[in-house]
Amino acid sequence: MPRWAWFLILPATIVLVLAFVLPLSLLFVSSFFAEGGFTFAAYADFASSSASQRAYLRTVRIASIVTLGTIVLGYPAAYAISRVTMRWRVLLIALIILPLMTNPVARTFSWLVILGRTGLINNLLTTIGLDSVRLLYTEGAMIVGLLHLFMPLMMLPLVSAFENIPNDVVPAAQSLGASQAQIFVRVLMPLTVEGLTIGATLVFTGCVTAYVTPAILGGSRRLMLSTLLHQRASTMLDWSGATVVAVVMFLTTLLAMVIIQRLLGFLHSPRGLT
Amino acid sequence: MHKLAKFVKLACFLVVTTGLTSTFAQVAVSTWGFNMDLINEHITDTFVEQFETEILYDLGNNADRLTRLQLRSDNPEISVVELAPTFAIRAMREGLIEPIDTSRLSNYDALYDWAQDPLGGNHGIGFTVYSYGIVYRTDLIDEPITSWQDLWREDLAGRVSLPNVTTTQGLATIVMASQAWGGDAENPDVGFEKLAELSDDVVTFYARSSELVSLFQQGEVWAAPVLRFAWGSLLDTDLPLAWVAPEEGSVGFVNTVSIISGAPNVDSAYDYINHRLSQEVQSRLAMDIVDSPTRADIEVDAETAEQLTYGDTEMSNLIFLDYDYLLDVESDWIERWNEEIAQ
Repeated sequence: MPRWAWFLILPATIVLVLAFVLPLSLLFVSSFFAEGGFTFAAYADFASSSASQRAYLRTVRIASIVTLGTIVLGYPAAYAISRVTMRWRVLLIALIILPLMTNPVARTFSWLVILGRTGLINNLLTTIGLDSVRLLYTEGAMIVGLLHLFMPLMMLPLVSAFENIPNDVVPAAQSLGASQAQIFVRVLMPLTVEGLTIGATLVFTGCVTAYVTPAILGGSRRLMLSTLLHQRASTMLDWSGATVVAVVMFLTTLLAMVIIQRLLGFLHSPRGLT
Repeated sequence: MHKLAKFVKLACFLVVTTGLTSTFAQVAVSTWGFNMDLINEHITDTFVEQFETEILYDLGNNADRLTRLQLRSDNPEISVVELAPTFAIRAMREGLIEPIDTSRLSNYDALYDWAQDPLGGNHGIGFTVYSYGIVYRTDLIDEPITSWQDLWREDLAGRVSLPNVTTTQGLATIVMASQAWGGDAENPDVGFEKLAELSDDVVTFYARSSELVSLFQQGEVWAAPVLRFAWGSLLDTDLPLAWVAPEEGSVGFVNTVSIISGAPNVDSAYDYINHRLSQEVQSRLAMDIVDSPTRADIEVDAETAEQLTYGDTEMSNLIFLDYDYLLDVESDWIERWNEEIAQ
């Protein structure tokens, strides 16, 4: 890298250090100091509470399911979008981004209208003579809501990954006798794995930190890490307790990033194009 | 050309007027920021007329504002703070607010007894009150609800919403559940047991009153304990609803106004508090359903009264909780709620 290039990254680095790295480090350090001394007490409290354990497991479980869900639903759709004409592509991408542009509270309330006891789905069930079921305030509702919310974060990097594949790669593979399955596994997958990694990381991180959607669709009865954090910061004014939750969330997303990269990395192996 | 001239005129006008207004003295008040247009009309504007002092606001929820006060406690910029009960007690314990010299307030004696010193040591004065009752659908529930115990009734299973523990009325809910089933604030075990038992039949534990309003609207919820200030928006749904003051009593919540320790411009702070408690301001705010008055001499029409915590019968039914005690047990109760009632 030429020396002048360092000056180009300087402004962004300064902003990140001042607004992100510094406060985050202060936060992290402060979580070890309570009542005047160095202590792991706040972390021990968190680890030993069964409510925190449940919240932690639920958060990781929901984030994993939603991430997998966006891959399964988003991957084929992203492929299809990258194959249609430009006009359709613009329209479809605009539709994907729409949920991100709606106010989160309004978006979540529209889920109440769909999933509610007298909502769309239950009305349909009762008209065809079935019993209405409880959809709202379940883990299922939280998953559906988050899936809808974070689908764009998975699809956008995937669409651009598919778009970057040269047009003649697939015909070339075909002409060399590759079957459809082989083309998918050995050509398309390795070439889009980067988009997949970015998407999965964004979705997982988003799920771990989301607050409004799980709070309204799951109800405050189903504790998540973000709910615990909110309780501690806004009601109990227990900043060290809240910091512990924030640090746990941060480490969880960091760990998830490593795992996602490892898991998807094997797809990137030289079995592909080389 | 015309447009440009107009623009120059407007710019000059703005410069002159902002120059003028900034010659007034200023006092900073920390408050929520709900109904700010009405607050400005009834408090801010009348205050500047009367005292030639501008009010600057620091707005936000209780927790955020209290945190800002903590951070600035060595050198406060804000003179007056308005807080909900537990947060006011917390501010008092941390020495963030100082005793008020009530002899400096000409409107003090006009207040109800319970509004005069709700925190103790004259650390705060109650400027508004709201009760905690139960609202239910009269078309769907045949047998009227009269007590907290009724929320456990068979015919309400799966149709009740309760407030989340972190809401203003969260701890009061535990107290009232305990009281209804033979315990009290000091003996909340039975309340926790009963709430845990009910938990599966609760639609959801609501976090905001706006959330509860849509739950009623969607037909998800038929009955819920509600703070009085949400009653107006519930009535706006045009559903057949009734407000019940439960036979165990309605918990009264009193929001208080206090002076920050070491506050700048203390004289204006006293002027502000006295103004807030004046008959004129209290009745204007009552009329527009911003705050229920804490003076007995405010007259409003029946329709307005319905949406306020107002009137002799309503007042005589109010019970006040010991927030000093509740703040002590708050974190234990929240942990316990997480363990026993949440899932």
